[in-house]
Amino acid sequence: MSDTTLTNGWEYQDKPREMQSELLEINMGPQHPATHGVLRLLIKTDGEIVHTVTPYLGYLHRCAEKIAEGCDWRQWMVYTDRFDYLAPMNMNFGYAVAVENMLDVTVPERAEYIRVICAELQRIASHLIAIGTFGLDMGAWTPLLYCFREREEILNIFERLSGGRMLYNYFDIGGVRFDTYDGFEDEVLHMVNVMEQKLDEYNTLLSYNKIFIERLADVAVIDTATCYEYGCTGPVLRGSGTPFDCRKDDPYSIYDRFEFDVPYGMGEQGSVGDCWDRYMVRVRECFESCRIIRQAVADLPGGDIMSPDLKKLVKVPQGSLYTRTESSKGEIGFHIIADGGSKPFRNKVRSPSYSNLHVIEKVGPGMMVSDLVATIGSLDIVLGEIDR
Amino acid sequence: MEATAIHALLVEKLGDAALEYVDALEKGTIVAPDKIAEAATILRDDPALHFEQLMCLSGVDWDGYDDSGKGKSVQILGYDELGKPEQSDRVGEGDLGVFYACYSHRHGHKYSLFTRVPRDVASVPTVSGVWPTAAWHEREAWDLVGISFKGHPDLRRILLEDGWEGHPLRKDYVMPSQWQGVPLEGQDYAKNPFSEDDVVLPERPVEEG
Amino acid sequence: MQVMTDLFASIFGDSMSPTALLIAGGLTMALIMSLVMALCAIVFTWMERKVAGFMQSRYGPMRVGGFHGVLQPVADMLKILGKEDIIPDEADKGLFILAPFVIFIGSLMAWAAIPFAPGFIASDLDLGLFYIFAVSSAAPAGILMAGWASNNKWALYGAARGAAQMVSYEIPLALAAIPVVMVTGTLNMNAIVEAQGGGIWNWFIFHDPFLFIAFVIYFIASIAEVNRGPFDMPETESELVAGYHIEYTGMRFAFFFLAEYANLFLVSCIATAVFLGGWQPVAGPVFVPGLVFVFKAVLLVFMQMLIRWTLPRLRVDQLMHTCWKVMVPLALLCVLGSGIWMMVSGELL
Repeated sequence: MSDTTLTNGWEYQDKPREMQSELLEINMGPQHPATHGVLRLLIKTDGEIVHTVTPYLGYLHRCAEKIAEGCDWRQWMVYTDRFDYLAPMNMNFGYAVAVENMLDVTVPERAEYIRVICAELQRIASHLIAIGTFGLDMGAWTPLLYCFREREEILNIFERLSGGRMLYNYFDIGGVRFDTYDGFEDEVLHMVNVMEQKLDEYNTLLSYNKIFIERLADVAVIDTATCYEYGCTGPVLRGSGTPFDCRKDDPYSIYDRFEFDVPYGMGEQGSVGDCWDRYMVRVRECFESCRIIRQAVADLPGGDIMSPDLKKLVKVPQGSLYTRTESSKGEIGFHIIADGGSKPFRNKVRSPSYSNLHVIEKVGPGMMVSDLVATIGSLDIVLGEIDR
Repeated sequence: MEATAIHALLVEKLGDAALEYVDALEKGTIVAPDKIAEAATILRDDPALHFEQLMCLSGVDWDGYDDSGKGKSVQILGYDELGKPEQSDRVGEGDLGVFYACYSHRHGHKYSLFTRVPRDVASVPTVSGVWPTAAWHEREAWDLVGISFKGHPDLRRILLEDGWEGHPLRKDYVMPSQWQGVPLEGQDYAKNPFSEDDVVLPERPVEEG
Repeated sequence: MQVMTDLFASIFGDSMSPTALLIAGGLTMALIMSLVMALCAIVFTWMERKVAGFMQSRYGPMRVGGFHGVLQPVADMLKILGKEDIIPDEADKGLFILAPFVIFIGSLMAWAAIPFAPGFIASDLDLGLFYIFAVSSAAPAGILMAGWASNNKWALYGAARGAAQMVSYEIPLALAAIPVVMVTGTLNMNAIVEAQGGGIWNWFIFHDPFLFIAFVIYFIASIAEVNRGPFDMPETESELVAGYHIEYTGMRFAFFFLAEYANLFLVSCIATAVFLGGWQPVAGPVFVPGLVFVFKAVLLVFMQMLIRWTLPRLRVDQLMHTCWKVMVPLALLCVLGSGIWMMVSGELL
């Protein structure tokens, strides 16, 4: 089916004059089942082929950065949950690490291990949604239900840990808020065992399905140079062939103690950097997260879960710092400017989906509308962190 | 490459425009605003530096920043207890700044650039020609902080409505009391609209299962 | 219709003229076919939800009607009837109102030639198979009307895709049935079914390998005809927000729904009659022919449901490629191959 693949750089003006008709301006509006949130895409198409894509953001803007200037350092942790509401533990982790880098505080070992376990479980949960909804966008209804079934187990663990199923507010500056419950380690290990079997099942059902591959191979090829230019990180960058992972190349917390690989796209079905590669990177990252969790649970020490040095009212000394951590969607960065007081002066959130979405303006033109849906699904955006 | 060496290279190439070296948690160079695009190009193209990726571009309003480190910066204006927007006759002063955090995949080093522009002439040359991702980050800086970027291909609001007035992340931004006719004032917290007599709980049997 | 006419004759005897008997018999059969269509919608919506549920490791409807939600479709119908009837302001009112009827009628008319049981066929046309394919071509026209009249760009997208798909897939559908016509020498549905008597190995699907391939082609093309499963581009929920029937609510939407499930059962019935022996049993004498026919057709419907809930969907250009570059040549090959087989095995001469 290579004759139906369209290349980028196709120009509407190159068509013979008799065949040029009006471009159809169509709104993949704020309410749409395939845009993963309230995102508006103004698409100008020539029949089925997209001519330009213009994203309109801001439907979910909740001015979290302005609110940060009015509340305490600790209080703002709650707002970080709401950025990527499908991976709140990762958001919490990013903010906690960012503030702790500016303070002079050591996080207790037990808290560090619990943090890593939670972050990796959250990464699996977030990727399960990415895989499931991607299949749904492609028309495969069943993998979604299977992914959600597994995600339920993770959410149950989180609920017993933190009290919430979706928004946890579990991490705190200097540690975690609550200690683990009895049977936590057994449940986590059981979950990880089940997860590895089920991931093989998803591979059989969806990943290597011929129709799925036909839909995704050679679609929206993003090469590494474009990724660097547009600031794409996470599975988008790794899908293009660059094995860059903040946990390995810019380690934070205790990630340097764990042994894990960084999966990257190799162009198995189609080209390097197509939608299938990005999807497969997510599936393989789930396997790697299982490895990390096993190692972390094996070494989980006893002790405090909260640093004893920190007072209730955290005061961060004057300075500014940009800290980035690896969330499931990419690199989440917090640029924090502190003035020595109890409230932040400026918290700027650099969200991965913001830059990942930008790439669609470049990659969109020339593909079909169905491929556009596939591309958005493969970028795995969450509007909560784009709009903040 | 060491941060001091990067700064030395920038001084060599930019001369006076590389104003100062910042040796704090975040190491970087303060650059004169009109030369920021050149500095960015040097960072990206110089083979020893090779900063392909702009990690973050953030705009900040330095109005009322407490340099002494005691945390006595000016508080932002919000809504008072009665839900009305707080007013203040303080005029916004102070500069606006832009932070650029860059990363090099090839060499693995990070570096930052800082600029400051006065409030009334808040204009910085764009770096979207150097790193295309800056296009959206600069739109956000324009939208929320009010720094305009010269040469930007499409400088308009990105997160807020097109017709929004004001730049919210400025310290002297007054919370609006209405938007397009819809009142944005908060509830009168001092007054509880319900009394004990108003609230009647319905008698309903508890469902089983 | 013969059965109905005989029934009326036996009840009323000489008091009705032959014309009156014909009209009465015909009307009753039409009524019965309409009821069958309505029953399709009811039974198959329930079956679809249950099959989907069990495949997705959940139950599906469980509450309405006690045992596994059997009255769920009734509740759905009541809900749909209670909805507000909205016609968009700028929509083409005439076409908007007419479109569901065109699709519905296209489907209903084809039911006239389906042989449920010996004699129990609404109209025993000599052109039976040809008539069915001809009449079900009204559906793309209805889809285009619906999409255009809605004054909605997404509906237009869905309608364009749907019409193109349905028109294209009618060709492999019809071509796949031609080898059967060659074997029997007639287009009469009753004759086609009767020619498959005498046990399972007489069914046309086992007649020769080319007919087996023809059955597979027919099955796949029928999934595409009904806009289902891997071929549901025109109404993909995740892309087009329901495609050509976006703007339809209430009873008008119910008509689309009805027509879709009726079409589903229709193509399965045709496949049963033409390839799987119709009301002929697996072995032994003819026994409860109607039930045998319906059972086989429901089995095919079940297979279509399994396929829908397993596979992702094809993109529009891949869909058209499959039709024109894969299935049509293959179907032509089957026709040729089947003819050569018959010539070699001595049937033809």
